[in-house]
Amino acid sequence: MRGAGPIEVTGLRKVFHQTGTGEAVVAIERLDFVVQQGEMVAIVGQTGCGKSTFLNILIGLDRPTDGRVAVGGRAPYDDFDHFRGVLAAVFQQDRLLPWRTAVDNVRLPLELLGRDPGEQLARARAWLDRLGLGRFERAYPHELSGGMRQRVALARAFAVEPALLLADEAFGHLDEVTAAALRQTFVELARTEGNTAILVTHQLEEAIDMGGRILVFGRPGRLLADINLRTWPAASVASLRADIQRMLQDNAADPRFARAAEEQA
Amino acid sequence: MKRDPALGGETVEALEARSPFRFPREMVIGLLVLAVAWQILSLFVPPFIVPGWERIFGSLVTLRMDFVLITLARVVMALVMSFVLGLGFAVLMYGSTRIERYGRPIVRLLMAVPVVCWILFAVLWFRWVEFRIAFVLVVVCAPVFLVDILDAMRGVSKDLRDMLRSFRPTQAQLFTKLVLPATLPVMLTSWKINLSLAIRVVTIAELVGAVTGIGYGLVVAQELFSVSEVFAWTLILVALLFAAEAVLTHVEERLLRWRV
Repeated sequence: MRGAGPIEVTGLRKVFHQTGTGEAVVAIERLDFVVQQGEMVAIVGQTGCGKSTFLNILIGLDRPTDGRVAVGGRAPYDDFDHFRGVLAAVFQQDRLLPWRTAVDNVRLPLELLGRDPGEQLARARAWLDRLGLGRFERAYPHELSGGMRQRVALARAFAVEPALLLADEAFGHLDEVTAAALRQTFVELARTEGNTAILVTHQLEEAIDMGGRILVFGRPGRLLADINLRTWPAASVASLRADIQRMLQDNAADPRFARAAEEQA
Repeated sequence: MKRDPALGGETVEALEARSPFRFPREMVIGLLVLAVAWQILSLFVPPFIVPGWERIFGSLVTLRMDFVLITLARVVMALVMSFVLGLGFAVLMYGSTRIERYGRPIVRLLMAVPVVCWILFAVLWFRWVEFRIAFVLVVVCAPVFLVDILDAMRGVSKDLRDMLRSFRPTQAQLFTKLVLPATLPVMLTSWKINLSLAIRVVTIAELVGAVTGIGYGLVVAQELFSVSEVFAWTLILVALLFAAEAVLTHVEERLLRWRV
């Protein structure tokens, strides 16, 4: 695994045009922030605040309308192939290929990278074992439960040993127990592997549980707060959930958070 | 449903739950009822209109079975050619929207021409009988393959496409790892549709100019006013279609065992 470098988001704006009417819809108004290499960041915000749009731009699936997203100085959309084997994403739905068994799904990115077949199999099996699915490697996705499928998707992402790991509402549709277990696995694995990890979620608990940095997005696509839980005053963490919720409801930045961020800086 | 205690009681469907062979009881009973009704009808209607089973089976043993093999060979050869052409052009149109814009109207035109017209064109344009038959079959079946496969390729899930693209595949990898396997179920369905179409079309094509095959056998039977022979040939055609469909279904079950 090679380091991806910092993620620099500068004056990012994204506007979509509706197919039928041609009407412009602003998905991201303006975003500016930096994520350092190896950092773990949760992006929270209400539905329609541009979280997934930002992630798609970061993955390189979408092009910014204005501004720039750069990872290690390179834009994921323009330098698309540079990010081969550098980033991996886990999506809201598991997005497993239904015609492939669990082990073959995990092997998929390694096949694309042209790794030796023996290495592909060994690594895919190792990751399935690590995620408790060793006995189900020959199972097709429809033979697995939702939680198991999402674990296969996690194994597929980690098998690449990416420098940049992205998760888009990856655990939101699972029951709370399974989601908590998978979230913990995600955070532990990301920490152990030293990945830069970005988790997009609309659940505040999920973001706070990660214990890293929280970026609060308002509508449409702008930064309301940038909270680093590691340096955040312990006394304020308890009220954090309510504070963020209020901020999201008002769709406005809270001056107290700006002051706290300045004090941390 | 199986429960796995090692996985916190998460439920999984039985992995070994593959569908074993099931005797098609309903189909057999349905056909038997039809056969009995036919036999009863034959008792009240003259045999030159509704011949009984004993007459039909009597004719069946006198038929030239090499004609069956010839017709079958024509169908298989033409379907393989149609599939290769259909798939090839579908890939071309999938790869270039410009080719698709020009190609689609031509394909629609080909599909709008009635089979009888193609047969007449074939008779007018070509001398060699085998070529005539192959031409008619290919011109009827290839566009069906093309349209089915192209639509399936265009319909590949955007979610899966984005997932794969996030791993940065080459165009060839995107095609072989995602588009082609995702299209396979539609390809098999298209084979079934075309098989039934081809068996019907080949019989009509063989009526014109051929001196072998089931279509020719039907012409001879008609000229001899042998109604039981016409029914015997029809029975063979239907049996041929059922058998071919059974083979395709078996192939489908093997290739698509990943489906729910």
